[in-house]
Amino acid sequence: MATSHPSSELLEQLQTLSGQNVSDCYQCGCCTSGCPIGEAMDPPPSKAIRLLQLGKAQELLDSEGIWMCASCLVCGTRCPRAVDYARIAEACRALILRSKQSRVDPDTVTVPELEEIPQQAFIAAFRKSSV
Amino acid sequence: MTKYAYYPGCTLYTKARNLDLCARKAAEKVGFELTEMPSWNCCGAIYNATSDDLAAQVGPVRNLAKASQLGEKLVTLCAACYNVLKRVQDRLDQPGNEIESERLKTFVDEKFERSVKVLHYLEVLKNDIGWDRVKEKVTKPLAKLKVASYYGCLMVRPKEVLGFDDPENPQVMDDLMRVLGAEPTKFDFKAECCGGYLVVNRREVAKAASQKILDNARAWGAEAIVTTCPLCQYNLDKLRVLTDGSLPVFYFTQLLGVAVGLNLDELGLEHSAGDPAGFLRSKGLL
Ligand code: SF4
Ligand code: SF4
Repeated sequence: MATSHPSSELLEQLQTLSGQNVSDCYQCGCCTSGCPIGEAMDPPPSKAIRLLQLGKAQELLDSEGIWMCASCLVCGTRCPRAVDYARIAEACRALILRSKQSRVDPDTVTVPELEEIPQQAFIAAFRKSSV
Repeated sequence: MTKYAYYPGCTLYTKARNLDLCARKAAEKVGFELTEMPSWNCCGAIYNATSDDLAAQVGPVRNLAKASQLGEKLVTLCAACYNVLKRVQDRLDQPGNEIESERLKTFVDEKFERSVKVLHYLEVLKNDIGWDRVKEKVTKPLAKLKVASYYGCLMVRPKEVLGFDDPENPQVMDDLMRVLGAEPTKFDFKAECCGGYLVVNRREVAKAASQKILDNARAWGAEAIVTTCPLCQYNLDKLRVLTDGSLPVFYFTQLLGVAVGLNLDELGLEHSAGDPAGFLRSKGLL
């Protein structure tokens, strides 16, 4: 039964965009323990999904964690419930980018290594974090 | 000599020229030829996994359409191009996706002749050429060089779509190293992420992830690392602090090149950190 939780529409959108059902997750923590960025990611995958289960989708959207995912797909590969968190993080980022809020402005990136970093990385990073 | 349509992608024309050059020369030595497909465009570098964003798929679809006019197979070398092109082709072919697929095909003004089999260079070596034939071409065996094969993420995941190798313990590059006379070492982080594109604005995170991989390879006794992705190569090679005894990071094509007798200027070693040429010399391989 759908409740009239303020966040339910947002959650619905995220589930549609990601093709994932957050209630499939039984919180085993397998995704978080394997995440190569897990220690630096706040919230890490399993906690992020828990937020969604608790109806706190906006909290996840406001978090740093969704921008830290490297799309390595380890979490989804190892999940015993076939939940792919990488797609959920992608959906969260997409919603923000679609409201025209860039996370990284390509014009302001001035890493000294600009000359060296393969452009494959720039294209990927900007596609994930800029409008 | 078998000819393959080849998609180099943006990075192999610039910052990973050494991967491209060496691969083409080594291919000729082992008996196949890479013919660059005409007027290709950027693959997008990363697969867009949202269900509705068709615009992000148009670039790769156009490449696939162009490639389909040339033949059944398209060879890639960069792990990111391989991942994107193969996943997009899979998305086009998925039963149930017919409407989306037709729409995408009409967006690109190119005739789609067939479903393209996107292959990685390593798959050509293994399945089309065969390890025996590769072995015949080895003139300078990598005499027991202890090599850790690092695959990273993009070659192996998602497994159901790429079907490249085991996502946790892939073997193809290890097999190639064995064929070349090297000794592939075991190591725990073969398919662990190097931090990927986070290097652009989260450099420290990518650095920590990459260092973990290098340390683990060394702990298993590796003398060198091989990879197939320009971004993995960069992160592993350039983010660390180089100290004596740092592992050199090679493209697998560079070690293949050494073994089949390419000369120094065909190996493109000058783009790497440290002194990989000196390392090879110390092993009697140059
Ligand atoms: S591995 Fe799967 S089931 Fe376990 S916590 Fe993560 S998403 Fe949930
Ligand atoms: S895909 Fe993202 S969240 Fe999942 S393991 Fe990799 S970095 Fe962590």
